[in-house]
Amino acid sequence: MLKQVTDYHYPGSLEEAASLHDRESRSFFIAGGTALALSDSKRPVELIDVGGLGLDELELDEEAGKIEIGATTSIQNVIEHEGIKSVLNGFLSESLEEIGSYPIRNAGTLGGSLVHPFPWSDVVTILSVLDTEVTYFHDGERKTRDFSRLYERDFRSELNDSVIEKLSIDLENETRTAASFHKFNRSEFDVAALNLACRITHNQGEIVEARLAVGARPMLAERVKEVEEELAGEELGSELARQAGNMAPESLELGDDKKISGDYRETLAEKMTTDAIKGIYQEVSK
Amino acid sequence: MNLEATINGEELTLEIEPGEVLLDVLRRNGFKSVKEGCKTGDCGACMVLVDGSAMTSCTLFAAQVQGANIKTVEGLDDELAGSLRENFLDKGAVQCGFCIPGVLVSAYSLLSSNPDPTEEEIKAALDGNLCRCTGYVKQIEAIKETAEELGDS
Repeated sequence: MLKQVTDYHYPGSLEEAASLHDRESRSFFIAGGTALALSDSKRPVELIDVGGLGLDELELDEEAGKIEIGATTSIQNVIEHEGIKSVLNGFLSESLEEIGSYPIRNAGTLGGSLVHPFPWSDVVTILSVLDTEVTYFHDGERKTRDFSRLYERDFRSELNDSVIEKLSIDLENETRTAASFHKFNRSEFDVAALNLACRITHNQGEIVEARLAVGARPMLAERVKEVEEELAGEELGSELARQAGNMAPESLELGDDKKISGDYRETLAEKMTTDAIKGIYQEVSK
Repeated sequence: MNLEATINGEELTLEIEPGEVLLDVLRRNGFKSVKEGCKTGDCGACMVLVDGSAMTSCTLFAAQVQGANIKTVEGLDDELAGSLRENFLDKGAVQCGFCIPGVLVSAYSLLSSNPDPTEEEIKAALDGNLCRCTGYVKQIEAIKETAEELGDS
């Protein structure tokens, strides 16, 4: 219980939600509520519930080649969407299924996962390798930004005081893309000790573009640009996977926390990178 | 502030604090099947249905369920719930019983949307419920048996 909370608001529009937030600097937006309900933060004194703003649309527009996910759409609803299960060879559905447990995914939302992401966030790692755009309402204006660039730079200043409206995932290169997500955790619903997502766009096995993101380092996910650049233009294969695996720990900032040591993370990063690229190679070779 | 919600079929107006979680409100108002276990969303002892979806009530602010339809295990009173209860007893799926209301809510939620689940789907549906006594084997058998019974009827 957050005892210091004195008001709970149900705004009727994005504008009203933003205005309520502007009025009280210690107000927090609530979507699924799971992260804040679990916290013992003394900061929030007002809660602004954005669950009733109709931001829960979920659409796979195959003609336009994109998925649009409203910010308050539950993670489980995305997983269960029949169309989304079949795009990107099921990457999005299957990787989101690795998050928490069924009841947590029922309450948790993608938008909520992005505003105050935990360092071990699987969502940030997963979305970092896709062509994702975030649309949000900030300082009285609607903005759309590339997800990866936002998280590399200024997402805290941008999103902490914003209402996220939706995420758009571009599927333009979907037929030439393979992706996989790997997570090391101590139990089925424990948070990640390291997570990794890899996506490769290829032309008959030749890598056109590679994306590799590693999270829970124990810091928030980052793209592994050195490895991505090494992979571009190469032929997919097991030896290439091993080379990328060897490079990954040196190209990443990895540290200790109470879960595992930095050394353990280096070993995991090598193994998970190799496995991810090998898995993609096997999928592409079928 | 007031929370207006339908709980186990009854429209109720309950006085709540803006920062308190649903678990505390339900227990204070007599819904004692909703247990406080971990209070971190891990154990599932406080599982309830919110508009049909299984959620841990310790990770939801009470104010979030304004206008919603809440069901605790006391409110599950149809053929599916009856069959689940019978099969949990017959299979010996209950030992200390602390987790059972939450497990039954998860099982009910699964079979309501998926009447013929695979064993993997049953395990996935129970992955938010901790049971330290049974090892889940008998619970999974009871859920399978319920699915078969209701499928035959």
